[in-house]
Amino acid sequence: MGLRVEGLVKRFGDLTAVDSLDLAVPEGSFFGLLGPNGAGKTTLIRSVVGLCEPDEGHIEVLGVPAWGRRGAEARRLIGYAPQEVALDRFVPVREALELHGRYFGMSRRDAVARAREMLATFELEDKATSYANLLSGGMRRRLLLARALVHRPRLVILDEPTAGVDIELRHDLWAHISRLHADGTTILLTTHYLEEAEALCERVAFMRDGQIVTEGAPAELRGRFGAGRLEDVYLRVVGR
Amino acid sequence: MSAEASARDLRRAQWRGVGAVAEREILRVLRLWKQTLVPQVLVAVLFIVVFGLALGGRLDGIGGVPYEQFIVPGLVLMGVGTAAFANNGTSIYQARGDGFIEDPVSSPMTASQLLLGYLSGGIVRAAIIGVGIVAAARAFVVFPLVNAGLVVATLLLSGIAFAALGTVVGLYARGWEHQNFVGNLVIQPLVFLGGVFYAVDDLPEPWATISRFDPIFYMVEATREGMLGAAEVPLGLSLGVTAGLAALMVLWAYTLFRRGVGLRT
Ligand SMILES: Nc1ncnc2c1ncn2[C@@H]1O[C@H](COP(=O)(O)OP(=O)(O)OP(=O)(O)O)[C@@H](O)[C@H]1O
Ligand SMILES: [Mg+2]
Repeated sequence: MGLRVEGLVKRFGDLTAVDSLDLAVPEGSFFGLLGPNGAGKTTLIRSVVGLCEPDEGHIEVLGVPAWGRRGAEARRLIGYAPQEVALDRFVPVREALELHGRYFGMSRRDAVARAREMLATFELEDKATSYANLLSGGMRRRLLLARALVHRPRLVILDEPTAGVDIELRHDLWAHISRLHADGTTILLTTHYLEEAEALCERVAFMRDGQIVTEGAPAELRGRFGAGRLEDVYLRVVGR
Repeated sequence: MSAEASARDLRRAQWRGVGAVAEREILRVLRLWKQTLVPQVLVAVLFIVVFGLALGGRLDGIGGVPYEQFIVPGLVLMGVGTAAFANNGTSIYQARGDGFIEDPVSSPMTASQLLLGYLSGGIVRAAIIGVGIVAAARAFVVFPLVNAGLVVATLLLSGIAFAALGTVVGLYARGWEHQNFVGNLVIQPLVFLGGVFYAVDDLPEPWATISRFDPIFYMVEATREGMLGAAEVPLGLSLGVTAGLAALMVLWAYTLFRRGVGLRT
């Protein structure tokens, strides 16, 4: 499995953000996590990448337990683009990519070469010496995605990577992510754009109140619920 | 890869990460030198000029040491300590506030490795400032440097202690006012009560006794012993307290990193 989550529970005070959640993302698959605001998608993801400590449950990344003795090993396998843009504003774009590669264990030489490659791929060469806080919103999204990929992770987790980007860039980002998937990378994506999930994901899971409500291939789900679009399935299973 | 080879590979990867965090922290100090290096050196020089040179002539020396010499060790320590504290407090609080600390926190580095990387920034800044103040002071005052090794060891341990304390505050802080609170209402008074400008034994009771409970007093004493060759307390005690404090602060910061305080939800 690319990612296996079993019995995950995360509470914030009285609120149970993730509630005994099970999830299995097959290795090499493109998996979509859908659901309304506050469903617990980001909390689930942050538990996987080591930023949110689970209260209960077990998480495995490509067979490696994400918490406990082998946590470091697991974290090295993951590339993560957070929902909130959080970029180091004291460091120029090129250096931010290089530093990230080195945080994740690349040699300086590899990181430099790979950062150059990422700048080209995401058309950020003109901004290589700019500081992250001076980039436009779309550029920041590209940088976040580039950063997630620098160290060639085998599991890529993208939390609303296309939030707030224009239509053209959205299609560019889709192309990048699809290429990644074609190369065998396991991808977990959250999005509020259902047509995006339908176009990209092999499987989707609908989440609500910290639990997975239903799960399957988009076409299969449409069939199961007699719906014309994934959006109709969404409204049926997690809509208010 | 065999289990052993992959363990070695992971360790190497993690140490590369430490190098990157340290480099980032040190570059931050160097790039922002107008804020990170100049002020502390300038403050120390001003104290030396005003207190040492302008007033020093009217004061008797302390314990046979001319006043303008007497205050130099404490001022060096004060510069080193405040810089190391401010550095880690600010850098970590900023990285938390903006959220970009999550990048290294989600990396394969362990808690102790992350801490080491972050401490490097404060320690390097403290070292530059220590050298800067000594060099600048030399331009105005002639003072001996009896035991340079002792001075370096004391300042290094003090720098570590203050950088670790700054780390703790940076992890706990929920606003800049918390930082300033600790800086202005904890460290500053302790520095002033720590005998930077006077011999603690000359204070009336209860202040003389109270000062003996001020850990910074021992840091100042060890530095003074190294520079001037004279101090009020035995070297074993002053250096011991300094080292103990450094160990304690590092342990405190490590515990917070380990538990993810301020880093993980
Ligand atoms: N650090 C935190 N402290 C307290 N509550 C939190 C924290 N993080 C998340 N929550 C709560 O947990 C619940 C799930 O939030 P989460 O961010 O996981 O939702 P989401 O599915 O990602 O939503 P969105 O689509 O809006 O991004 C929400 O009620 C949120 O307020
Ligand atoms: Mg979210």
